[in-house]
Amino acid sequence: MVENNLETAKETAVTDPSIHVIEAPRYSCALAGVYGTVLGLYDAVPLLHSGAGCGVGQLFGLLYGGGQNAGGDFGGTATPCSCLVEEHVIFGGENKLGNLVDSSIDLLNAELFVVISGCVPSLIGDDVDAVVGEFKDKAPVLHINAPGFKANSYEGYELFFEGLADQLLTEKPVKKGKVNILGVVPYQHIFWKGELKAIKDLLASIEIDANIIFTEYDTLEKLNDIPAAEYNVVVSPWNGHRAAKKLEDKFGTPFISFPGVPVGPKQTSEFLRELSKALNTYSDKVEKVIGKEERRSYRLLEYPGDAIILVRPHSYFAVAADSSTAVSLTKFLTNEIGYLPDIIQITDNPPEEFREAIVREITENLETGYSPDIIFEVDSHKIRENFKDRPFLFLFGSSLEGPIAMSDFGALSVTVAFPSYNRMVLVDNYVGYDGGARLVEHVVTTFAGPL
Amino acid sequence: MSLGKKENKIDLSKNTCPNREQRAKGTNVYFGKASELLDEAKEGTLQCSDRKFQQSGGCVLNFYLAVRVSTIRDAAVIFNAPVGCSSSALGYRELYRAVPVELGRPAEYDLHWLTTNLQQNDVVYGASNKLKDAIKEAQTRYNPKAIFILTSCTTGIIGEDIEGTVTEIQPEIDATIVPIHCEGVRSRLVQTGYDAFWHAVLKYLVKKPEKKQKDLVNVASMLSYTWQDRLEIERLLGKVGLRVNFIPEFATVEQFEQLSEAAVTAPICPTYTDYISRGLEQEFGVPYFLYPSPMGIKNTDEWLRRIGKYTDKEEEIEELIKEEHVKWVPKLEEIREQLLNIKEDGTKLNVLGSLGQGRLVSQLPYFDEIGLKSPAAMAQDFDDLLIEELEEVLDTVGDFDIMVNTFQASEQAHVTHKVNPDVALTCPFQGGAWKRDSEITRIHALRGDADPWSAQSGYTGAVAFGNFLLQSLKNKSYQKTMKEKTATGYKDWYLEQPDPLYFLEKGK
Repeated sequence: MVENNLETAKETAVTDPSIHVIEAPRYSCALAGVYGTVLGLYDAVPLLHSGAGCGVGQLFGLLYGGGQNAGGDFGGTATPCSCLVEEHVIFGGENKLGNLVDSSIDLLNAELFVVISGCVPSLIGDDVDAVVGEFKDKAPVLHINAPGFKANSYEGYELFFEGLADQLLTEKPVKKGKVNILGVVPYQHIFWKGELKAIKDLLASIEIDANIIFTEYDTLEKLNDIPAAEYNVVVSPWNGHRAAKKLEDKFGTPFISFPGVPVGPKQTSEFLRELSKALNTYSDKVEKVIGKEERRSYRLLEYPGDAIILVRPHSYFAVAADSSTAVSLTKFLTNEIGYLPDIIQITDNPPEEFREAIVREITENLETGYSPDIIFEVDSHKIRENFKDRPFLFLFGSSLEGPIAMSDFGALSVTVAFPSYNRMVLVDNYVGYDGGARLVEHVVTTFAGPL
Repeated sequence: MSLGKKENKIDLSKNTCPNREQRAKGTNVYFGKASELLDEAKEGTLQCSDRKFQQSGGCVLNFYLAVRVSTIRDAAVIFNAPVGCSSSALGYRELYRAVPVELGRPAEYDLHWLTTNLQQNDVVYGASNKLKDAIKEAQTRYNPKAIFILTSCTTGIIGEDIEGTVTEIQPEIDATIVPIHCEGVRSRLVQTGYDAFWHAVLKYLVKKPEKKQKDLVNVASMLSYTWQDRLEIERLLGKVGLRVNFIPEFATVEQFEQLSEAAVTAPICPTYTDYISRGLEQEFGVPYFLYPSPMGIKNTDEWLRRIGKYTDKEEEIEELIKEEHVKWVPKLEEIREQLLNIKEDGTKLNVLGSLGQGRLVSQLPYFDEIGLKSPAAMAQDFDDLLIEELEEVLDTVGDFDIMVNTFQASEQAHVTHKVNPDVALTCPFQGGAWKRDSEITRIHALRGDADPWSAQSGYTGAVAFGNFLLQSLKNKSYQKTMKEKTATGYKDWYLEQPDPLYFLEKGK
């Protein structure tokens, strides 16, 4: 493994490798994160105040990478953009932006307009807030300042919610049994669409009304309802935490966090119990739902028994994925399928303060005496080096691993994380009671044949 | 033939090329008769304009330059940029994996890219040390033959001295360092990025010829032409004993180095190839031609003849053409018959192509050949590099409407709505323009498509694409259902009013 001994121009000692030179990191910039988040809202349109390539670049990077998805009516080349060039660098881009916001409101069928400013306006000092302020009476317009050199795409998700809370949301009477779901980052979490719907349906089964915000129409209503929640439910070890804190500070909404989306029966039952207890709705009725669903889903998991035990029993596996996916899949495969976690590489650069909890969540909750190596790594070259000469037979990673999994590591691969150019994701996801069975389908399909 | 601004010498002492706006009087917007566009181009009055409403049509880095350069084998690429500018290159390990080894893809190859991942501090204090670190890291990790540096809006605006850094560090580095100036803010025309790439290739990579290779033909092919197109070109030229040097995608560094030794540089997409073709002639005496491309029977004949002329294979090429015609012309005739009989009133089918400047001059004559009519066409941008070629096309197919619009999805939706062609040949990035109660198919095949079904070049390609178009007429359920069942992004008033350039700031 090549050591990263690089130093930046800056004088302070830097330990955070994520600010160094990196091969193919599995995330994009702040602008991209806000962009993907806004595209996840069905009636909102992102307006890029940036160079002309930022939308197209993220179509190829974030949207295709996020499960091979097209841009839709407001993504990719259809994204309104101020398309800044040299003359704007010299004379400013405010006028161009004003024209863009004005014409977008006239032209586009949307409820909410979100101006996302990138590197260029930040470097040339445009007063974007002033420009956006002029249109507040004409339509709901937000401004999210998201220069690419300031933060990454995961942080872009938080920036959106922070801006939303400050610029649009107002206090609402709290509705009992209503929660917001936070921590599923559109496109970066490639199963975002299916995961959110699965969580909503799951919670509906125990009479909790989940506002999943994304992938639904009536966006403005959904957003305005955020402060009406009794709880914010965060389903990631770090994504959505800043957003939830902001909402707590601003509207007093408490939040409860889970270390990932619930995958398979064990995690799902725990999720339902803990959440209903927090909301004071835990009852026999909840246990009845759990009992019924567990009985049904474990019957389902009898079917792959021969394939697993005759062909690939107690196999070592490796993971290269974002924190949330890595935690949930590792726990399911280890605790319900009897597989052995060999090496887990966390690729989404969680802030330092969350890392210990992520490691603990994996190591302390495994029903095996065997603990995997856990490495936080963002550099695709190093991730590849770290995987060499290990015993794993399966690799749960991205489409960066897909082409080299067999030749480099002798492993079968399943794409479960960003980027996912080799797997289209529309409704697929591993959440809930059936989620575990779906993951088993995908695992067994990599080696299935006559027994 | 005239080559537009042929008199403008390429100046390799400069760090980069001039922008297309200056070099070739390019424009980013036009809607009207092709004949009038041609007149304006001749008079040199084309210019760029701003739009009140504009969409993200791509920049000089991120309209495929990023993807392209990251496919060059035994090289490494450094994006000197914040982390987002390189996202489009995340498919680098996969891009050519779909091509089977049996069809010529090497089993063992690796591609590499790094981002300098610029942070707030780098923007404030400068990023030259970080670039140096990236270059050293690329050398240590990958031991490449060349290291390409792609610049960004940010490095441009903060005034990074890329050449200074390169000059300083090159002595310590084995690989040839090739800085490419593709700052997104530098130009409104994405073609500038390709010129900038070729400028750097000419300046840093192409070696003086050790020997002339009379049987070597340079072909600059694009990702939007398929692997099958390469195979067809190799098949045809191989039959007369010629070898093909395909650049840039999936080429080795050595293939760039020996561009100077070829007998001729032949086009697939002339507007893309123009700069390298002229540069190779100017610096190394490699002759070139820009027209026609090998698309359709007549164009392929002519393309082969031109190559035959430069390689002393004229007789063999005539033999080849004769032989190929026997096999393929009847098949094309069959397709033509079928296409001409689709409409009950016996008129030709109308196609609206999203072509780009290069395909405009190569594809319209092909459509004519197979019995299709093009009442209108779209191009990303237009400049004076292909004036005579467009004139020739107008002589062949008659006048038509042309829209130049640098991937403005709203304008494309408007024109598609207004022209309402029998078949819209779309580029799949055009927002909702594909949702319609009529035929729709693609014009560009993406990536290294290895299926013969996807071919467009040469004789087999002419027939394959004809069949592809016939197939597109057989079922419109997807686009029709989606039109009925999903919303549209644009308000009706825009699509109903007559001017697709409603938001153009006229007179600017």
